[in-house]
Order: sequence, then structure tokens, then C-alpha cells
Amino acid sequence: MQPILEARGICKSFGALRAVQDLTFSVNAGEILGMIGPNGAGKTTAVNLISGTARPDAGEVRLAGERVTGMAAHRLVRRGLVRTFQSTTVYGERTVWQNIYRGTFTQSYTGFWSSVMGGAAYRHQRERTVERVERLLADLRLDDVRDTQARHLPYGRQKALGIAVALASAPKLVLLDEPAAGLSAEEADRVAEIIKKVRETEVSVVVIDHNMRFIAQLCHRVVVLHHGAELCIGTPREVTSNPLVIEAYLGADHEPA
Amino acid sequence: MIETPATVQAATLWRIPRAAAIVAVLALLLPLVTGETFLLYIATLVALYAIGAMSLHLVLRLGQFSLGHAAFMGIGGYTSVLLVTSLDVSWWLAAAAGTLLAAAMGLLVGPLVLRLKGVFFVLFTFTFGEFARQVFVEAVAVTGGSEGIFNIPAPAGFTTPTSFYYLVLAAALATVAICGQLLRSQFGDAIDAVRESETLAHSNGMPVFAIKVITFTISCGLVGMQGALEASFVHYVSPISYAFPESLRFVVINIIGGLGSLWGPVIGSAFLVALPELLRSWVDYQWVLYGVVLILLMKYLPGGLMDLPALMRRLYRKSLPGAERSGGQR
Repeated sequence: MQPILEARGICKSFGALRAVQDLTFSVNAGEILGMIGPNGAGKTTAVNLISGTARPDAGEVRLAGERVTGMAAHRLVRRGLVRTFQSTTVYGERTVWQNIYRGTFTQSYTGFWSSVMGGAAYRHQRERTVERVERLLADLRLDDVRDTQARHLPYGRQKALGIAVALASAPKLVLLDEPAAGLSAEEADRVAEIIKKVRETEVSVVVIDHNMRFIAQLCHRVVVLHHGAELCIGTPREVTSNPLVIEAYLGADHEPA
Repeated sequence: MIETPATVQAATLWRIPRAAAIVAVLALLLPLVTGETFLLYIATLVALYAIGAMSLHLVLRLGQFSLGHAAFMGIGGYTSVLLVTSLDVSWWLAAAAGTLLAAAMGLLVGPLVLRLKGVFFVLFTFTFGEFARQVFVEAVAVTGGSEGIFNIPAPAGFTTPTSFYYLVLAAALATVAICGQLLRSQFGDAIDAVRESETLAHSNGMPVFAIKVITFTISCGLVGMQGALEASFVHYVSPISYAFPESLRFVVINIIGGLGSLWGPVIGSAFLVALPELLRSWVDYQWVLYGVVLILLMKYLPGGLMDLPALMRRLYRKSLPGAERSGGQR
């Protein structure tokens, strides 16, 4: 079966710093792929290159077979690739409902005139969008805080909201940049449950993190990055027992997953 | 649920807010109270400035701070004036051409300037404003240079102060309708999203750059319309009418009125246009008092005059017996 995402030999340098070097990997439909590595390994740069936030110096990115290298982020969202960010995850001043509604933009926006004049297409789409927002609120257990400003939510629920906003665009693939960063173990487990639920809806997921425990419990396969290059790729067990990974990242006293 | 552009229902998208309807009716009745006096002249000025201030409000809602908006007013003003005085085109067609040309210039300049952010956007718009003013000064054969163009006629049928007031009021109400509808729509919600976080707006699939260019273009067209109307109101145009202080005035009106809603520029215009006129009784200190009032406003109402009811409520609560104690308990 054709992979949902293919990155072939993507490279990015900032001056003399080679942030990502010749990175090749693919994500299969319905798969959760982990991307892991120490700080400065190039994880976020790799996500930026795939999601259209930055343009690769070389290499190619394909989404469901279509070449999308360097395509603007909002066009990629329309094609089904959406991402979350490490820090900026939600519109703090807006309610939970409004945040998710904004996430539906590619689904609900019917064009300038239609949206301003409130035409029939807009009204029809609006009803479907409201249903979609309500379903996401229920699925991600956010309906009790629907009218709460996002900045007043606990950090763990802000992360859950960030995922809900990403899912609102009906994506084929979601890139989650450190969804468990700054969370307690309990909160991280809750986010992991949400991500597993996302996969059940046939959405593929790429999770970027540096917490091996979090990644190992979630992912089918893991890519390990080191100094911007791929160190190894495999199942969590294969990766955690790989001597190169142990030496470069995990440390000698690490227990395999 | 809080009603905002994101939650406003399709059925209520066209609802006219009650407060806006009341203000519109009062504005329509105003000439019956004032007659053709100095007050009507001020009211006409307020309505004129409200058009430009509302147009700038759209750009400010994007999170961009323009210091060159008067240049587009000048493009609208000179275009309409030249068509009327030199080519004898009908006033209505000339005003429409001025509006459209200002919008077209916005569409031309927007894609260049809207890639800039923060202080770079401010500097570019300031420079563009000065560049446009210099063009108005240098193109003596067309614009009359520094001396400007005199004896600009009002449109036929709108030569009396009352009729011209109604013409300007109609334009101001149309501007309210356009800006209000735009900001209440899903497109308006996208404008707010861009201001709140461009990064998130991109990742929500919003075409951020297109949203900016469309909004900027509409804004420039509206301020161009003000230029056409104002030229016929004062019967005179010159580069000084479109210089930096005019651009700054639009910004100050928005800040003093409040940046949070379309009421801000309307209230700001009423206050800032009327204030110097009301201070004329103390002519020696007029501009000193004007400055003092502005400083006090910015100190005590940082959110603009829109915050006045909240300030009054706070003061009222403080004045109640036992307020200090309950305040201490909070």
C-alpha cells in the first residue's frame, strides 16, 4: 500500500549548521510513527520541512503520492496534513469551542462572498461544522470546558485542545510536535490515550518527542535522529536495543522497551 | 455561549445591533435639532473621520499598524477632484473612481508591505505616506503642487450643509455595514485569528497572506472614499491634507476609541474631532488642554473610551459603603 507520507533525502542547513541531513522515512496509512532524539537533533526542523513551515534545501516530500515539497502550510492542511506546535498550541483568548471552530476552517470556509453574505452554501456548511465541533468536544472530553477561555485551561487540557483543533480539519496525517512536553506522567498518559483514539479514526500520526517511555507506548515504529541525520528506524523494541541509539541517546543503563 | 464572529449564527449574521440602530437614528435626526449650525459642521467632520478610522480599524484588527493611511485618502481625493474639475466627469463617477483607485493601490502596495511585520510594517507605511505626499507636491501640473486645488464643487443636490451631512452619513453608515459585516463573518474571525497567532492561523489552513491583502485592499478603498467626500466638503485639496499628521490622527482615533471593536473608531472620531472644537472657548490653551485630555485618557483608559462603562462601574463599586472591606476580602 502507498505510504501516506514519504520524505526522501530532505536536507536543511542554517549557515554552517546542518540541521537535517539526508533524512528519509515514510508513514503508512493508519500508523503512529515516533520521531525521537536529543535536543538539537533536528526533530522540529524535520517537522517544519514536512509541514511547509520551512522549505528543504534538497530532497522531496510526498503526501499520498503527490509531491508537496515546500508547499505553503495552509495548502498542505487542505490536502490533509496538519501539525501542532511545541509551545503555541491554542488561541488563548478564545473559548475551547471557538478554537475548534477555527480548526475547521478548511472544511467550513465557503469563500469570501459566501462567508460575508451568509449565503446558502455557508449556512449548509455551518450546520455540518457545528456538528463536527460538537463531536470533537465529546470525543476529546472537552465539552465541560466548551465556553472556557483556552488560556484558563490546565496545560494538559490545552494540549488535548491543540490535538482537537488539528483534528477539526479532517486530516489524513497529523504531526504532533512534543505533545507531552511539560506534562506530568499522568497527563502524558492521558494525551497518549487521545493519540491512540486518533489512530482509530484512520488518521496517521507522527509524534515528535524526546521521552522514550511516551513514544514506546504509543508508536508502531520509531525514527531516531541524531545531529540531524537518521540514526536508526524500527519498532520501539528494535530501537531501544540498538547499540548506536543506546550510545548516542539512551545511555548504557537503559532497559529495552 | 459568548457571541463572537466564530459563534455568530448564520441566521443572525445580518442582525443589526440595537445600539448601532439607535445611534444611526439619532444621527439621522440630528439636523432637526442642530439646524445648519456649527454643530452640524462638526457632526459632518465626525462622520467623515469615522469612515477613515473604521477603515484603519480593519488593518489594526490584522495586528498591523499603518502610519501611511492618509496616502490612500489622498489618492481617492485627488482622483475624484481631478476627474470632476479637469475632465468634467460626474461627481458620483469620480468619487467611485477615487474609491476604486485607492483600493487598487492598496492591492498593489499590500502584497509588498504585508510581508513585513511589526516596526518594519510601520516604517514602510510611514515612508509610503511621505512618498505619496511628495508626489502630490511635485506633480504641480496635475495636483497644483503645494498650493493644491481650490473651488472643488459638492455634488449636485448636496450643496447645503444638511444635504451634504446626509450624504456623508450615508457613506459612514455604509462603511459601518461593510466593516461590521466583514468582522462578524467567518472571514472576520480569520482576521482575528491572524492577529492572535499567524502561526496557528497557517496551521488551521487559513490563507493568511490573502486574508491580509483582501482586508488591506478594502480598507484602502474605504479611506479613498473619505478622501473624495472630504475634498467636496472643504472644497480644497492640498498635500498637507494627506500628510503624516492625518495618518497619525486615524491611529490616535482608534487607540483613544478602543481597538477591540468597530465602536472604537466611531467613538474615537466623535471624541477626537469634537474635542478641539469644544475647547475653542479657551483658545489660548486649546491644544495644551487637548494633549492633557489625551494623556489622561491613555493613563486611565488604556483600552480606549470603550472601557469607560467598566471604569464607571469600578468607581461606583468603590464609592459604595463597605466597598473597601469587601475589596480587601477578595
